[in-house]
Amino acid sequence: MSEYTSPANVPAVSIKRMSKSFGDIEVLRDIDLVVNKGEVVSVLGSSGSGKSTMLRCINWLEEPDRGTIHIAGQRIGINEQAGRKMNNKELATLRAKTGMVFQGFNLWPHLSVIQNVMEAPIYVKGMPKEQARVIAIELLEKVGLADKHDAFPFTLSGGQKQRVAIARALAMSPEVILFDEPTSALDPERVGEVLTVMKNLSKEGYTMIVVTHEMEFARAVSDQVVFLEKGLIIEKAPPAKFFSNPETERVRKFLEISA
Amino acid sequence: MNGQAWLLLLEGAWTTLWISGTAIAIGVIFGLGIALVRMARIPFVDQLLVLYISLARATPLVTFVLFLFLSAPTFGINMNRNTAAIVAMTLNTAAFNAEIWRAAFLSFSREQKEAALACGMTSRVFFRRIMLPQMISSSLPGLVNEMSFLIKGSPAIAVIGIVDLTRVTNRISAVTYEPLPPILAAALLYMLIISILLKLQAMAEKKANRLAM
Amino acid sequence: MTEWSILWDAREIFFNGLIATLGLFSLSIICAFVLGCVLVYQLEDDSVLSKALRLLINLMRTLPFLILAYLLYYGLPQLGLRMSAWTAGLLALIVYHAAYFAEILRGCRLIMPEGYVEAAKAHGFTPLRLYLRIVLPQLVIKTRPLLGNQLIIALKDTAFLTIITLQELTAAANSVQSTYFIPTQAFVVVIVLYWLISICLELALKRAARFGAKRGFDYV
Repeated sequence: MSEYTSPANVPAVSIKRMSKSFGDIEVLRDIDLVVNKGEVVSVLGSSGSGKSTMLRCINWLEEPDRGTIHIAGQRIGINEQAGRKMNNKELATLRAKTGMVFQGFNLWPHLSVIQNVMEAPIYVKGMPKEQARVIAIELLEKVGLADKHDAFPFTLSGGQKQRVAIARALAMSPEVILFDEPTSALDPERVGEVLTVMKNLSKEGYTMIVVTHEMEFARAVSDQVVFLEKGLIIEKAPPAKFFSNPETERVRKFLEISA
Repeated sequence: MNGQAWLLLLEGAWTTLWISGTAIAIGVIFGLGIALVRMARIPFVDQLLVLYISLARATPLVTFVLFLFLSAPTFGINMNRNTAAIVAMTLNTAAFNAEIWRAAFLSFSREQKEAALACGMTSRVFFRRIMLPQMISSSLPGLVNEMSFLIKGSPAIAVIGIVDLTRVTNRISAVTYEPLPPILAAALLYMLIISILLKLQAMAEKKANRLAM
Repeated sequence: MTEWSILWDAREIFFNGLIATLGLFSLSIICAFVLGCVLVYQLEDDSVLSKALRLLINLMRTLPFLILAYLLYYGLPQLGLRMSAWTAGLLALIVYHAAYFAEILRGCRLIMPEGYVEAAKAHGFTPLRLYLRIVLPQLVIKTRPLLGNQLIIALKDTAFLTIITLQELTAAANSVQSTYFIPTQAFVVVIVLYWLISICLELALKRAARFGAKRGFDYV
């Protein structure tokens, strides 16, 4: 699917010893995480544990204080050859290789559904309009919104908005898609349609990092489950082990409460 | 009123329209520029702009037009009436427009910017493709409202002897000795012009409301 | 510095102009506000009179203030109705701004929840008492910023009256400059005066905002 296919042995995302503070509060401490191509990683933890911040550091929406992050083998945030921080243009080039789906959808309200999907391919990648349109139509079909091309975001339900946002992220053929609590702002009866789309994506081999509260999804879809507590990764395991035989008391408690 | 009087009246309406129109066109762009500079919060420049906006909003257009027209020559600047009128109206309306644009800036959501950055847009592309179009839509009702205010304020230019749609009624009645018909006719023309703007404003509001998800 | 000493010599002209402007302004906005409130009360029911008033209010919104002053001062004498520049100017200010005040209040009235009104009716309020005690206070608190804007517009509109020969603040500057040929200084003085008046108005409105804030009203 990806256009700039990097060598298969290079991980899609690799984070080493990443830390981040807001003022005096240390929100992330020595995070290490490797996400291989085609893997789905679910990030769990109570609110305030640093899950979203971790995700937002990966595409440099938040700047970590220490540590390194590589996207498909390329360091983000620091231009290593020049030995300085990346400028906006360099950052943009790397961010184009990651897609992000937000809790609040963040669709651009002045653009129609299909324009939302076409916008970045045209104005970031310089793709011809016709080609972007073909891709957008295909992606909207994939998320089940083929009939909504020309609708404006304000006419859509939350679930539909989020599916458009997923199509928008896919349109850039990203190396990895970052999901920041994609179903938390939805009505309960709309959660399923978004999770179904995400499940299908995982089957197609997309690399995904998903911050979520949906235990069932994490159990059924992920290759790895990561549990964050006070900015630390305290458990990292395949779902079978994580859900049936967690190592820490904290995770056991968490699973009990969530069950 | 005879045909000659109507012709004079229409000439007056044209004067009002082209002078106001020029001031509006420059003032909208000027206002955007001021708002952009203010967003940069440059020390000293920012305070200066705040002072300008505060003064321009408090000064009656009549007073300001007179001031510009009469005092420019003492600084060695020669302005004809029309230029003085356009400059005064532009400086007046730009102050209001700057505040309208700024409000649109300040209310713009951070989340949309993040969505754009996450797709790999640069700040420039984001501004041009995502932010500016929405700012235009959300500012437009306010800007059109300010346009009708400016036209309602435009009779101020009569004070320096420009024969606009208001002043022309004096001209006509000086000949006919019947002041009422030309004044009522002028009122009718103003109603027409400003009703169109109010209609446009309502349409712009409808469109802007679509952005509020 | 001779120009500035001339200004000092001409202080009486400025002072008289300032008094005229302040007098015109305060008298007209008080009358206009009361008239505006009366108009909104009349609009509560759906009579023919209400429809006519609504039309009149909408009409005023499409007219420049000066054309109304022209109508009263230059137009009406043709019908035998002659008034001084003062009377015509004051009347024009009152009628014009009453329409705008009414429009502001009515806009807020239309979106006011009916619950308050029903609660008052259930307590046996008469329509007038209901309007004065329940509806109007809320409208005024909620529309405070818009009403404040309108006050400043009214202040600036007084300057138009210099064109119908009324001797107010702008006319004072004009007469000083034509007598002593010091246009810049003369106008700087009156512009600063206008500015100070509007700053005072804004400060007063900010104080008034506390009244609403204490009662938990948000700004509109």
